[in-house]
Amino acid sequence: MTMVPQGGGTISRAGGGGSGNLYDILELILDRGLVIDVFVRVSLVGIEILKIDARIVVASVDTYLRFAEACNRLDLEEGRKAPSQLTDLVGEVTEGGAHGKAKGALSGAADVLTDALKGGHDDEEAEQSEKRRKEPEERRERPRRRPAARRREE
Amino acid sequence: MAVYVYSIVLATHPQRLDGLHGVGDPPATLRTVRTEMLSAVVSDAPEELRPKRRDLGAHQAVQEQLMADGTVLPLQFGFTTVDDDAVRAVLEDGADEFSERLRALEGCVEYHLKAAQDEDALLRQILRESDEARELNEEMRSGRSGPELPLALGELVSQEVQARQERLAVEVLDALRGLAREERSSQPTGNDFLNVSFLVERDNEKTFLGAEQDIAKELGEDFDLRLLGPLPAYSFV
Repeated sequence: MTMVPQGGGTISRAGGGGSGNLYDILELILDRGLVIDVFVRVSLVGIEILKIDARIVVASVDTYLRFAEACNRLDLEEGRKAPSQLTDLVGEVTEGGAHGKAKGALSGAADVLTDALKGGHDDEEAEQSEKRRKEPEERRERPRRRPAARRREE
Repeated sequence: MAVYVYSIVLATHPQRLDGLHGVGDPPATLRTVRTEMLSAVVSDAPEELRPKRRDLGAHQAVQEQLMADGTVLPLQFGFTTVDDDAVRAVLEDGADEFSERLRALEGCVEYHLKAAQDEDALLRQILRESDEARELNEEMRSGRSGPELPLALGELVSQEVQARQERLAVEVLDALRGLAREERSSQPTGNDFLNVSFLVERDNEKTFLGAEQDIAKELGEDFDLRLLGPLPAYSFV
């Protein structure tokens, strides 16, 4: 795996099993890794906010209401066409499709972290170009999912 | 001048740093602090350091390049100390401990896996399979409902979501853990139901990747599996 600096410092990765970018491994770089207790950690403004944003709250009135609303909105007809067991899908999904899915989607925590990081710092142009690069993918993947993540922020 | 510390490697590691730069703006120059047994990659610490893309990328790029030539102990982002002598003292005091950890990680890389399920697909599944949830939902849709109904439906669905996702997480972990030397799970965030790092032996990498792809295929397109790696062993130092 290599890190290839591209225009404006955008990071992408070639080879290896993953195709993620820096955001996908933010929590590893920031929260894991060796800590040496006699060293001093520089103040990381914005990091606390970032963690609170990312926390999931399942058992709350807000979540209940959101789920109820989501169920009401669902088109159940569409659901009847779908297989009821996960394993029913085996064989229907082409290798390319599954691979692309697993590789291509950049979402969940990474996006939440992305927003927090961007919000906390009026950062360099690289983030903007990175954001633009990701947008088409997000438009496809995110709309139904983002509201969920958002409303769980409290 | 304060020193930013990136990584610790064995003194025998080649420590190629060409083409790399450190954190800060303008980027600091990388250098090594050596002791008999160990070596640390460091740079001067910038006066103000914030977790910007540029700096996180510099920190990560150092780990990746070192990892290509041997085993590395990556430090967490953002650690500094007063000067090179302080780094040297840490390397000497911790020589046994660090060497042992480096030996334990030899020939291993980290893979990080996150997984999410499309929420609508999950909710449909719950409504199909739970009579109670379906009835509550129909009642609400009919408009006769009181204020307690959304909460009852939501709580039921929420419990189902949690139970199903926990089961799925266990299934995915069970399928992969035999192929990894160690694993470390943490609280999934956002819509994810799984957030786990695996320490995988290089010799086992292909099998591990194949198994992950099989899982992605079996779960199907309602699922979003993001596997990242090979990474330096951040989660296992």
